[in-house]
Amino acid sequence: MTSWRYALRHVLHALSTLVFVLAFNFFLFRLVGDPVTLLTRSSLHLDPKEQQALREELGIDQPVPIQFVNYMGDTVTGELGQSFASGRPVSEVIGSRLWPTILLVGTATLFSTVIGLWIGIRGAWRRGSAFDTTSLFGSLVFYSMPEGWLGMMLLIVFAGALGWFPAGGYQSVEPLTGFAHIADVLHHLFLPALTLTLGYLGEYAIIMRSSLLEVMGEDFVQTARAKGVRDRDVRRRHAVPNALLPTFTLVFYSFGFILGGAVIVETVFSWPGIGLLTFQAIDSLDYPVIQAVFLLFSAAVIAFNLVADLLYGYIDPRVREA
Amino acid sequence: MKGMRRASLVLAATVLIVVGLAGAGFGQSASPDEKITFRVGLQNDIVSPNPFKACCSAEYEMMLLNYNMLFGFKREDLTPVPELATECTPSSDAMTYTCNIRDDVMWHDGEQLTSRDIAFTYRFIIDNELSVFTDYLPYNPTFETPDDTTLIWKSEEPTFAPTLPPYIPIIPEHIWAPLDGKPAKQIKGFENIPAVGSGPFQLVEWEPDQFFRMEARPGNLFGTSTIDEVVYQIFQNKEAEVQALRAGQIDYAYDLSPTLYKSLQGVENIKTLHDSPSYYTNFAWNFGGQGPDADPHPAIHDLALRQAVAHATDKQAIVDVVWQGAALTGDSILKPSNGFWYLDIPQADEYDFNIDEANQILDDGGYTERTPDGIRIDPKSGEPLSFDILPVTDQEGATETAELMKGWMEQIGIEFKLRPVSESKAYVEWEAGTFDAYLWSWGGDPDPDFNMSIYITSQCLGWSDGCYSNKTLDDLYAEQRTTFDKDERKQVVDEFQRVAYEEVPEMVLAYPQILSAYRTDRFEGYVRSPADGSPIFAWRVDSYMNLKPVTAATEDSGGGVSAGPWLIGIAVGGLALAAGAVIMKRRRSEEDEA
Repeated sequence: MTSWRYALRHVLHALSTLVFVLAFNFFLFRLVGDPVTLLTRSSLHLDPKEQQALREELGIDQPVPIQFVNYMGDTVTGELGQSFASGRPVSEVIGSRLWPTILLVGTATLFSTVIGLWIGIRGAWRRGSAFDTTSLFGSLVFYSMPEGWLGMMLLIVFAGALGWFPAGGYQSVEPLTGFAHIADVLHHLFLPALTLTLGYLGEYAIIMRSSLLEVMGEDFVQTARAKGVRDRDVRRRHAVPNALLPTFTLVFYSFGFILGGAVIVETVFSWPGIGLLTFQAIDSLDYPVIQAVFLLFSAAVIAFNLVADLLYGYIDPRVREA
Repeated sequence: MKGMRRASLVLAATVLIVVGLAGAGFGQSASPDEKITFRVGLQNDIVSPNPFKACCSAEYEMMLLNYNMLFGFKREDLTPVPELATECTPSSDAMTYTCNIRDDVMWHDGEQLTSRDIAFTYRFIIDNELSVFTDYLPYNPTFETPDDTTLIWKSEEPTFAPTLPPYIPIIPEHIWAPLDGKPAKQIKGFENIPAVGSGPFQLVEWEPDQFFRMEARPGNLFGTSTIDEVVYQIFQNKEAEVQALRAGQIDYAYDLSPTLYKSLQGVENIKTLHDSPSYYTNFAWNFGGQGPDADPHPAIHDLALRQAVAHATDKQAIVDVVWQGAALTGDSILKPSNGFWYLDIPQADEYDFNIDEANQILDDGGYTERTPDGIRIDPKSGEPLSFDILPVTDQEGATETAELMKGWMEQIGIEFKLRPVSESKAYVEWEAGTFDAYLWSWGGDPDPDFNMSIYITSQCLGWSDGCYSNKTLDDLYAEQRTTFDKDERKQVVDEFQRVAYEEVPEMVLAYPQILSAYRTDRFEGYVRSPADGSPIFAWRVDSYMNLKPVTAATEDSGGGVSAGPWLIGIAVGGLALAAGAVIMKRRRSEEDEA
């Protein structure tokens, strides 16, 4: 298969997945309940006439097919509507949560990738060593540990008992500016980012380790050794580049989840990101926000998968030819 | 391995940047912050700074501090006391009230507050149908302001609404007038920061889901506070809130779970406290009539069945097991915090926990036939006594209580099929009437009117839990609304509580206490309102006005944790690790080359 046909096939596949996600989101969240009923009982206490007016105001008085057409049209033009709960434009609501999430999940993904791959490579290359045994055990423990529980333990020890870090939030309530503000945010970032890093790195380490072990048994590695290539060069130039392929897919897949936030960790540490927003929007049946968040989330996953597919085809010609 | 080396460099660079930033940050934050800040931990943020979007406790606390009302609440028993009005004199027919308004109250922006602002606020709510407050302004009232210190409230029917009092924050006409007549969406969309009011504090900053800040405004009618600002920090879980209190990052942790509350007892520099219960958890039957989909079990209309279920419910066990003792057993449809109005149902009249009696009542009621599974059968409809029960999961303790009740009901041949639902789903079920009973809760005002209205026929699909209808209760409710002598009204309200208890349209299961804790090394001077009530989130501002820093408070306990030193520590640790890695790498390279 030629390169452009390979690329076109994946781009079309990504686009069709996105359209399906759009339609699926719209219908899925309408099965949950009526937001006007929720508002009526919890805060507004409206009579039927006022409820109808609110339905018209929110655009949910029309038949579902018409709502769907309007929704698709608005989404294509970038009009995401207004949050039912806060009344603010959805783009503004999401925009205010985007940076904290990118900062948190991005930092954790970066650190967990680098540390995880390093652990995996080192462990595999010295299989059976104390480092390998210990790091494999640690990776499995962190991989299987619920992030919420791990976060809570770190919070109790380092925020509550020792008082080294804040127990929650994105920044201190004191008004700070400049470098003091940045240092303050980093201080708040530490525990949630550590939780996510520990939660993620086990997966990277384990996959990198097993992938490298597999490659180490290949003929070309044996050949390189037989040729007298230095051990370090065998690892760096022959083994690791080939073992990186499955890990490469996993890394890009994880990048796609960055925008989705980390619902549990953001909730544990009161981190005002997309994950927490998603939880709150679902709880209050805030359809416009839910739809927009899931669209953003899905689009990011689809986009990074597309990039991974395209790069994978470039890096490994066997995939392109398949 | 070039990639790995690059990645290591990125990590090292990141660490170095952190060092730089931390150093710079540490240097700047070293300057002392002389503001006296009272930090409160909450789990629920305000929905909006706009009072017309008020929903829950956080907004009402914000409004209490930011605005004044026509009347406030007396500390001892929460009965009305003058606030903006020095007095309101009713006419003999109680259809006209003439109120004297204070002339020494200023808005936060320096303008004078007058009777016209009060009249504007009430008209603004009625004309623009701002339903969150309209119930406080019944019988199509009109308002006249012959001068700046006189408000005349005229009602189409006799009422005590002006002195109930209406829980309505008075807003400044000069700020809100441009919104008058605009769509409700536009009014509720008004950002309202800084929120110009006349109260002792002003909302000046709101970071959604993080914190909101209220600065003290001297010269208000409550005097001048020692604290400069109150900051409410939002925690998404109670554990984090407690840890913040332990570490001194907040001064007061509001609304804790019994387990966390107990974990703080005996901790140095922390005092725990529980207040007089201000809400109740309930088991509400659905009587149907909401709409075509409503399908409650027909046996619910039989008083004998409801009484049997009441006898088979061990409220003390609910208090002990679910609330771990941090609640009172429920009886009346008012709460102990209603003080004067609350009727403690005499023990002799209560449905005591008695499985044998419950079985006997059901036998006498004709529920003698059973299914092969032992479930009693309703003799009238022929349906087994199997009920669709919704514990509302957002309500703390509802699911656990439902599980306990399910066990007790099995002992009297009744099946409870539990269907836990979120609050949002519960609203949908509630509107459709597609359930037999739910477990939820109610709060309410110090005045009993609202809580009584829940049981009125006309409140089906309004405030009613399950569209219960009882003419005696309807009549008593109407009577108390036109009984102007307080003691006479009390008798009517008592009778209402007795009938509501006997007829069991719902069971008040427990009056949970709000559990809180505060640091004793930060502030002193907390005032509880009433005497066994809460120091904050009460109905008064006494604590905020009376709090003073503890003299011996150290700098460490005053400002939470400082970022700089720890970031430097982390950075140094990171550098040490990086240095170790480099040394090991070199050593390994030498080994490889050897």
